Amino acid sequence: MQRHREIAAAPLRSTPEVWKIVSQLVADTLDRSPEISRRDIEATLEIARPAGLLLIAGGHLDKAPMVLVAGAVHLSITTVSGDAALQLEENFNPVPGAAGTSEWTLYLPTPEPVSSEIRRIANGCPHLSAKEPPGSTSATAKSESIVLDRDAFLRRR
Amino acid sequence: MPTTTRTFTLVNTAVYLAQVVMGAMADILADLGVDLTELYRDWERDESAIRAWIQEQSLKEVVLECHRPDGTVSPVIEFPVVYYPDGIADARFTTQRASLARFRAKLERVPRGTTFRLFCTFLKHPAPQSGWGPGSRSSTEGLRSLSFGSLATGPHGAVAMRYLR
Repeated sequence: MQRHREIAAAPLRSTPEVWKIVSQLVADTLDRSPEISRRDIEATLEIARPAGLLLIAGGHLDKAPMVLVAGAVHLSITTVSGDAALQLEENFNPVPGAAGTSEWTLYLPTPEPVSSEIRRIANGCPHLSAKEPPGSTSATAKSESIVLDRDAFLRRR
Repeated sequence: MPTTTRTFTLVNTAVYLAQVVMGAMADILADLGVDLTELYRDWERDESAIRAWIQEQSLKEVVLECHRPDGTVSPVIEFPVVYYPDGIADARFTTQRASLARFRAKLERVPRGTTFRLFCTFLKHPAPQSGWGPGSRSSTEGLRSLSFGSLATGPHGAVAMRYLR
């Protein structure tokens, strides 16, 4: 089941404070599986921390989600910045569905200009990925819109 | 006509502007291919210091210097801060992220091995912050300045950006 959590960033919270909440949400969601070690989760999130800081402070996570996939869990996490952050109703409850799974991956978005840095960080850890998360429709939707635009352009010529 | 009241504090503006400055510096350094290890290591300390100095309205500008392996310093990016002590009632929190993305295309490339240094200058004596001490900026004599204009605004202040190369 796909779930989405929005976390208020600045002007409500600083970048490290937001990353702490993201980490806690991911860890608590995965903690429901006895097959996944808390130490493994924390080590992975420590590796992912620089990517989290870049994505949050640059406003990139406002637009492109970080996605946790673990068993039945498909959790998209985005941030909300600016005026809207001060009125956001947040839900930090862990998402059910990870119980019984031992496999999990945190998919990191790769917006420019931080894409190569995010890929470098993700390459260092088996539970991190800079690829498109499974079940995402954005890649298909993008390519379809490109074809439609090109066809329309050709018809005009 | 119904009315609503929104109350923003100077703290909100300080949190917002500090995050935007950190994010802009990270984007610029990542774009230039500069090693970000030290930025990550000191991130919490630096964002906290910038926020505290904006909150006490002592911060004049944040300066990002790129130090090339040959000893030259270029580019230099300055983030001057202005304050609205009484606040602007209908001001919103805005950031010119799309303009920043276009502006980055103008950045001069730097050679491999380029490092960075952060400085802050002040309008008045600042409260001490962990990890920060006196330092000397490199001379910007001979560098050409290009103004980006306003980078981010909040009800109690704004930050602009200048690019020197």
